[in-house]
Amino acid sequence: MAMNKKKLLTVAAAMAFGVAIQSLIWLGVLNAYYAQVLTTMSMFIILATSLNLINGITGQFSLGHAGFAAVGGYFSAIITTRIAPPLPGPIVFLVSLLVGGLVAALAGFLIGLPTLRLRGDYLAIATLGFGEIIRVLFVNWKFVGAAAGMWGIPGYTNFLWAYAIAVLTVLFIVNFMNSSHGRACVSIREDEIAAETMGINTTRYKVMAFTFGAFFAGVAGGIFAHLIRLLHPQSFTFMFSVEILLMVVLGGLGSITGSVAAAVLLTFLSEALRQFAELRMVIYSLMLIGIMLFRPQGLFGTKELSVDMLAGMKSKFKFSKN
Amino acid sequence: MAEFLQQLINGISLGSVYALIALGYTMVYGIIRLINFAHGEVYMLGAIFGYYAITTLKLPFFAALALAMVLCAGLGVIMERIAYKPLRNAPRVAALMTAVGLSLFFQNFTIYSIGASPKAFPKMQQINWSFMGATVSNGQVLILFTAIALMIILHFIVQKTKMGKAMRAVSFDQDAAKLMGINVDNTISFTFAIGSALAAAGGVLVGQYYGVVQPLMGTLPGLKAFVAAVLGGIGIIPGAMIGGLILGVAESTISAIGYSTFRDAVAFAILIGILILKPAGILGKNVREKV
Amino acid sequence: MAIIETKQLVKTFGGLTAVSGFEIYLDQGELIGLIGPNGAGKTTAFNMLTGVYQPCSGDIIFLNESVVGKKPYEITQKGIARTFQNIRLFKDLSVIDNVKIAYHQNVKYGVAAGIFGTKKFKQEEQEITNKAMELLKIFKLNHKADEYAKNMPYGEQRRLEIARALATQPKLILLDEPAAGMNPQETQALMELIRFIRDTFGLTVLLIEHDMSLVMNVCERIYVLDYGKIIAHGTPQEIKSNPKVIEAYLGEEVAI
Repeated sequence: MAMNKKKLLTVAAAMAFGVAIQSLIWLGVLNAYYAQVLTTMSMFIILATSLNLINGITGQFSLGHAGFAAVGGYFSAIITTRIAPPLPGPIVFLVSLLVGGLVAALAGFLIGLPTLRLRGDYLAIATLGFGEIIRVLFVNWKFVGAAAGMWGIPGYTNFLWAYAIAVLTVLFIVNFMNSSHGRACVSIREDEIAAETMGINTTRYKVMAFTFGAFFAGVAGGIFAHLIRLLHPQSFTFMFSVEILLMVVLGGLGSITGSVAAAVLLTFLSEALRQFAELRMVIYSLMLIGIMLFRPQGLFGTKELSVDMLAGMKSKFKFSKN
Repeated sequence: MAEFLQQLINGISLGSVYALIALGYTMVYGIIRLINFAHGEVYMLGAIFGYYAITTLKLPFFAALALAMVLCAGLGVIMERIAYKPLRNAPRVAALMTAVGLSLFFQNFTIYSIGASPKAFPKMQQINWSFMGATVSNGQVLILFTAIALMIILHFIVQKTKMGKAMRAVSFDQDAAKLMGINVDNTISFTFAIGSALAAAGGVLVGQYYGVVQPLMGTLPGLKAFVAAVLGGIGIIPGAMIGGLILGVAESTISAIGYSTFRDAVAFAILIGILILKPAGILGKNVREKV
Repeated sequence: MAIIETKQLVKTFGGLTAVSGFEIYLDQGELIGLIGPNGAGKTTAFNMLTGVYQPCSGDIIFLNESVVGKKPYEITQKGIARTFQNIRLFKDLSVIDNVKIAYHQNVKYGVAAGIFGTKKFKQEEQEITNKAMELLKIFKLNHKADEYAKNMPYGEQRRLEIARALATQPKLILLDEPAAGMNPQETQALMELIRFIRDTFGLTVLLIEHDMSLVMNVCERIYVLDYGKIIAHGTPQEIKSNPKVIEAYLGEEVAI
């Protein structure tokens, strides 16, 4: 299942697509605005799929994803601005993303260890609380500009960086899901007590999913910091977590392709609604309520969209035409 | 000592507002096991309704308070019927998500309709009394006494009336209550109505105390009130009051010792501490899932 | 040699004593029944044996080692598997995934191997799939491998739960009312299956059952629990004629 030819081909095709788009940006066919939107989209793919690993696949309801993105964003910006090693830009950037991701992962591990004993809505509130605490800590940390924020971050992020990392994130999570360790996570979502009776160390896998999820959120935070070029504690409020959560829920809790599709859809929808700034959030919230009332399983449920599935739909379609 | 007393007084008046909001959380949780995330927004809307009742309708303070409470009670009932009732048997996460959605909806719809800028809530003439070296304002006294009066009324409703008995029965066992001929739907609606009315009262009191209301004022107090409810033991009415007071005093103490920028983190630190040490809260009993 | 032995197990909930002075032993390869009226504390006893509940006092010796205080997953890893009275399958997963999950504790490849899709990972995954299919074959569920567990009929769900418990490769298996809700034919077939797996996998079996006739036919020894205490113990013949057992069951349907 893991890295068969079909999957390699898909990844290669996805990467080629990214290079093609980036070429169009370099050639000036796609202007700076589109480049920015496409980069944001890639960032949201990373955030949504990594949150899905926690919320959808492992079934642990986290509302603190923005907090991990904040940790990653700040620490990667510390590398590129406060430390700024005299190395080529891309290497510094890559190192900064890695550091941001790792510090976020550490935060995820430390937060996950005590809180993941909680279930359902209690966990949701505790993670929300941690997200807010992290934000308050940055407001009070003078080294990173405190409430005024962090300015003058180099604009290392471009579309290709964000996109390539998004592809790798999806690949990582899909492969993890299809391994026995991923199945262990799914079993926790399905029935924690039964999972434990199957010999699965549920705490270990919950913390693992939380740590991985936090890592990718941290990397996405780094991408964000070097895209917007300024960091502010107010960028990472509860609302930011909700936006990511909406993508996961819309796509279907547990469906990675669903999260990707929803991230793409909502990034573009949000751009289209930009001119109605205030109405945008009204529509967002109504969508969230509507999905929960009428299609709580999201667009894809826990299923994955695959080439085979599309082929299957096509053949069914042909059959019905006969 | 006077300083300590001052913080205690500030903390208690802030805490009694948390307690008023926390009561709604705790009652709703007690009856349908739902964290009604939108509850903080009901508090905000209560303040906004109160603002318009005083400025546009020129009502006196207590009439405005009553009107805001009635309007929010109705809003609570509608909210429950439209958004939560269809999800009563759905996974709890679905209901929680809907609650988050509702909360955002109320917030943004209010911003959309009246703008995001703060509105000046007419304050009454401030009178200060000196009490053992500390200062007590009439606003604080008003908050404290209104809160106490409302809690006494609530206690009476829950303990002495037929509806209160039904509420307790439904929260204990919904199916059994139904078999005893209790109209469960109405009881749940009634619970939402009371909880929302109390939150609205909190909103109007705070509006009049700080002299300002705005569409985003509900989020943080809402979350903190939830913390208060969990702290005292969620689902337990006296617990919400105790939790609210402890939280209020803790926050004003932190501000007083010079860490006011950390004030908002205190509630969440308390929350995480209590969830880890005694998840059932101060007055709660631990229950575990039946296998 | 006893594979498992309990010593004076006590479990109280608040002021209620659910189980007290619970003492049983099972020898390697035995098939033992635990019966008793409703609310006698049978499932509570199971929950203590599997670490879901911690006993208030007493000891559980499994393979010469105390397992009190161990977490459920640690106990499963030591070789005790169980099923649940109210079936706890992973309902929204496929039948084969239910079984594959139970193989997890014996998986040797690491997280990284899974993510990078190494050769070792692929080989082991293939092995797991093969083993799971073999197991499903024994339970005559192989033709339903890709169905959702929740879509299967009740009797098949019960069988799948046993198959899943077996996949953890236990030495001792605890079955909590495996025949509940089954018709007599299904029950009969299930009992033959339990005997068969006991013999093929060299298992020791402890089963809780309500259906007296079933226990009488299949078990070698029987413990009777009433009001949280073992009131009788012996071969089916001895149990049948034990006046205490008859008294405990008076008012209940006794189908001997």
